[in-house]
Amino acid sequence: MYHKTQREGFQCEGSQCEQALLETGSPVDEARQGVLDQLVSWMRKRSLFVLAYGTGCGAIEMRPLMTSRFDAERFGIIGAATPRQADVLVISGYLAIKTLKRVIRSYEQMQEPKYVIALGSCTINGGMYWDSYNTVKQVDRYLPVDIFINGCMPRPEALIEGFVALQERIARGEKGGFHRYRENIDWYKANQRRVLGDQMPPAYTYDWYHAGGAA
Amino acid sequence: MHAILDSLAMIGVSYIMGFLFYGFYRQLNARVQRRWGPSIWQNFFDNMKFFFKSETLVHGPMFFFGPMIIMAGAFTTVLFVPFLKDSNWLQGYSQYGNLILIIYLLVVGPLGNALAVGSSGNPFGVMGVTRGLTRLMGLEVPFFLGLGLVMLQHETTSVHAIMAAQDGLAHWGIVTNPIAFCVILLPFIASQNGSPFDVVGAPVEVYAGPRVEFGGRLLGVLMTQNMMMSIAKLVLVTDLFLGGATNILVLILKAFALFVLTTAVSMVFPRLRTEQAVDFFWKVPLGLGVLGVILTVWLPWSA
Amino acid sequence: MSLILKLFFFAVSLSPTALLMGWDGHLTWTLLDGVGLSLTLTPLAAFFLLLLALAAPLVALPMLRRPADWPSLALYAALLAGMQLLLLAGDFVSFFIGWEIMTWSSYLLLLRSPRTEMATSQSYILFNLASAFLLLAGIMVFYGLTGSFDIRPLVGPTQPQQLALALLFGLAFLIKVGTLPLHIWVPRSYDEAPDIFSAFLSAAISKMGVYGMILLLTLFPEALTGLYGRLLNGPAAGYLLAWVGVITAIVATYKAISQEDMKRLLAYSSIAQVGYITTAVGVGSSLALGGALYLALVHTLVKLLLFISVAGIVLQTGQRRFNDLGRLIERMPISFFGVLIGIIGLAGMPPLPGFAAKYLVFVSLVDARWLLLLAAMILSSTAAFIYCYKLIYAPFLGHANSAGAREAKEAPWPYLVPQVILMALLFGLGVFPGFAIEVLIDPVLTALRMAPLGGSSWAVLTTAYGGYDGVVLMSVFVTAFVLVTGLFLLLRGRMRRAGSPYDLSYAGEVPTEETPLHYGAGMGRELRRIPLVGWILRHSSQGFYLGLTRQMRAAAGLLGGFYAGNPQTWILLAVVVFAVVLGLQAVTGGI
Repeated sequence: MYHKTQREGFQCEGSQCEQALLETGSPVDEARQGVLDQLVSWMRKRSLFVLAYGTGCGAIEMRPLMTSRFDAERFGIIGAATPRQADVLVISGYLAIKTLKRVIRSYEQMQEPKYVIALGSCTINGGMYWDSYNTVKQVDRYLPVDIFINGCMPRPEALIEGFVALQERIARGEKGGFHRYRENIDWYKANQRRVLGDQMPPAYTYDWYHAGGAA
Repeated sequence: MHAILDSLAMIGVSYIMGFLFYGFYRQLNARVQRRWGPSIWQNFFDNMKFFFKSETLVHGPMFFFGPMIIMAGAFTTVLFVPFLKDSNWLQGYSQYGNLILIIYLLVVGPLGNALAVGSSGNPFGVMGVTRGLTRLMGLEVPFFLGLGLVMLQHETTSVHAIMAAQDGLAHWGIVTNPIAFCVILLPFIASQNGSPFDVVGAPVEVYAGPRVEFGGRLLGVLMTQNMMMSIAKLVLVTDLFLGGATNILVLILKAFALFVLTTAVSMVFPRLRTEQAVDFFWKVPLGLGVLGVILTVWLPWSA
Repeated sequence: MSLILKLFFFAVSLSPTALLMGWDGHLTWTLLDGVGLSLTLTPLAAFFLLLLALAAPLVALPMLRRPADWPSLALYAALLAGMQLLLLAGDFVSFFIGWEIMTWSSYLLLLRSPRTEMATSQSYILFNLASAFLLLAGIMVFYGLTGSFDIRPLVGPTQPQQLALALLFGLAFLIKVGTLPLHIWVPRSYDEAPDIFSAFLSAAISKMGVYGMILLLTLFPEALTGLYGRLLNGPAAGYLLAWVGVITAIVATYKAISQEDMKRLLAYSSIAQVGYITTAVGVGSSLALGGALYLALVHTLVKLLLFISVAGIVLQTGQRRFNDLGRLIERMPISFFGVLIGIIGLAGMPPLPGFAAKYLVFVSLVDARWLLLLAAMILSSTAAFIYCYKLIYAPFLGHANSAGAREAKEAPWPYLVPQVILMALLFGLGVFPGFAIEVLIDPVLTALRMAPLGGSSWAVLTTAYGGYDGVVLMSVFVTAFVLVTGLFLLLRGRMRRAGSPYDLSYAGEVPTEETPLHYGAGMGRELRRIPLVGWILRHSSQGFYLGLTRQMRAAAGLLGGFYAGNPQTWILLAVVVFAVVLGLQAVTGGI
């Protein structure tokens, strides 16, 4: 197994809180699905448009994934040109502070349901950039990651496995990370603000998260 | 009642043919590239996925109505193209229209959508629209000249009459008027958004062209109309050059043959820049068209 | 007082309508012995009088807005009088008087605009005077041939006579419509004229040239065919005229695309549209003339609508360049619909009547076997989509680029009322394409002894080549639209309005007001990379006229050399000329 499906517990502040989460484990949402919901979930599973955010070195693994050797298209996975059309955001490798802003912007422009796959060790704990002054260590603090694929670098096989795991989660109708983002927007925004400071995107880019309920 | 059922049938047929043809295209394309490729239903899944997106962003009323206009345009186009000859079914309202009207209807929807693209305010989208209009300017000249040759040959603009005149293999348009068919073939590929003339959408190149701001259900609408419109164009060319069809199976067979012909061209040629495409249309197909005009109209033995 | 004057002025602007309704019979008035004015209303003139009757009050209404410019109003009344005289003319004397009144009053009206430059006004009057003098010369030739000024077909003219008439009259009217080498006065004056008056210039005055051209055809017993016989299935002389029209249309379309000023774009588009009409007149069959008249009708409506909408934008924002406008759709929605309907009509899209008109012309070209002309016409009519899109995108969509565009309000009602009326007219004519044919165009065709085009009902447009049904088309489209929108809204899921116009998918960036997002002005710039288009846009007829000017100057300088200040040279010249004349007379045996 190359991927992790459970979030890593950056959800709440304080070590006790983290400990509590670790003990209970995250509740898997076994949402009961009606027939229509099952059908919809199945369609969603069969068609994932990928927005590959490739500033890190992991981007190099995305190309063989799409081309003839590994052929992700047989899973219905295909590249999307703009965030508006994408379902999955693949963050490939480390994020600098500068690029974090763009990733957040791209994620917020995607239309729900939307998922995030974080690729490589750097997205989990900073990887080899663990002591860098301008690299984001734990992407999960800023964006709700659905699937982590670890490794430095993970091979395309690992990526495919991650995608398949994501598809299974979608088919089961589990709540995606975007629900978490919507529900805990203040927490995420506070984290983002801590890193970005006055570089935060203007309020109109996210204040609608407060306006409506969950979809 | 018959008209309503007939219209619904036409829309259904064109939609089903649309996603199956495009699914086949993706499958074939993958095989050519030595991949397995997606299932033949993949376009249907993609389309449905977009229709069931739980969030859709709009940039204002015009942005919302643009895709509605293009979809209404696609429905209208489909309903004005006769699918079958000598049949009561799959006729739509084609007896109230004609060839020139259909050619213009093909453009109504995209222009309505161009308004939506403009009202989103995204410069990449408008760039795509400009590319589209420029390509249209290039392709329409030889395309219309080829159709002009057909209209001249049959002395009518009625698609029904042109179909009725091709009552046997020897009278098919492709046999009696091969130059016209050659003239329209490449512009036809361009009007289908096929490579090498696919610079408008330019997948993954110019940030998606006109569709850059569309997501969610609106994108689903755009995909649907694209598939239906493609089928309408295929059926139109089938009617004009391949003798039309008397039943739905023959229609699918003929349209599919034409589709395979165009995709075979699409698969092996890389994308041209807009101005290269336009220049190409004005040199090769148009040159051929002028030759056709000289042969059929100007020379003394011609009528 | 001012109110009464304004009401009176508005009543004057309705005079073409009154004339159209009330005129019957014939009026003659002897000027000299054997030369008289005769006023009569032929069906052809009645059609153009109808265009005038449509344009006059709709242009007058916004002109009346405070502060009213009284000299303009007076000149406008004179202009209307001149044009009515021109249309009523049964003889060339009154035709010429009307033509001159029209020329001079429109020239003086043009000068009322503070933006008019010297070069513009000079080129306007120069070209129009040239047109008038050519017309005068043509009238003299006509008088020499028939011994009468009455407008009626020549009896048994020889070919040189026909050619002389066709050249003189044809050039006069082609200057007025502004076909290619003779067009350079058009874009400038349409651009710089008072904003509302541009509508009248484009919609009504250019149609007088069209009227003249069709009138010219009626002078010849076999129209254009008599001149050089037939080519394929149409008149050979008309083939030339048709190419002139089509090349005008192509070049003007590309020039229009490259403009950065709204009114100048519309001016070039006017040239292009009139180019189509010229082509149709050149084809000369009943289908083509029907198409020409239809195009003239649609062009009048569309250009009135567009120029008035644009005048409203200029009034409210103070900006006229595409760079400086944007996103007015929220602030001027009615003007937006005005321009939208206008460009749909201009581009010849179904279901508006522009399509019906173009359909007739296309079919007439197929009928005449002139397929290359058809291809060329398609080129310009498809390229027109680009400037149509620019015309609606740059002012109304995109992003607001100036304070004026950000704070504009909807145009005042005198601008909106004509727009709404014109939109309704265009819509109605589009749904009933046969109405214009049967009621307006067929009488003219019958009077010209051509086959009428009318179909079985007002809803259909029929030709020998097939037709279409506007009502069915419109109802299918509207039903589909309602159905699609309804189904779409039935699907579940949220719709969310973007929080800001800058909420764009912009490669992860957050664009701001400073980001150059408006693509309007640059649109069409990349067209220059296409060889043919680049060639057209690099060249202009200005060089030709500059060269002509240089040659004229050189010739004048040569001539001026004789008039040196030295009296002895003069005397020598006089003696030499006298001697040569005497010598010549002696040689020819005159003495």
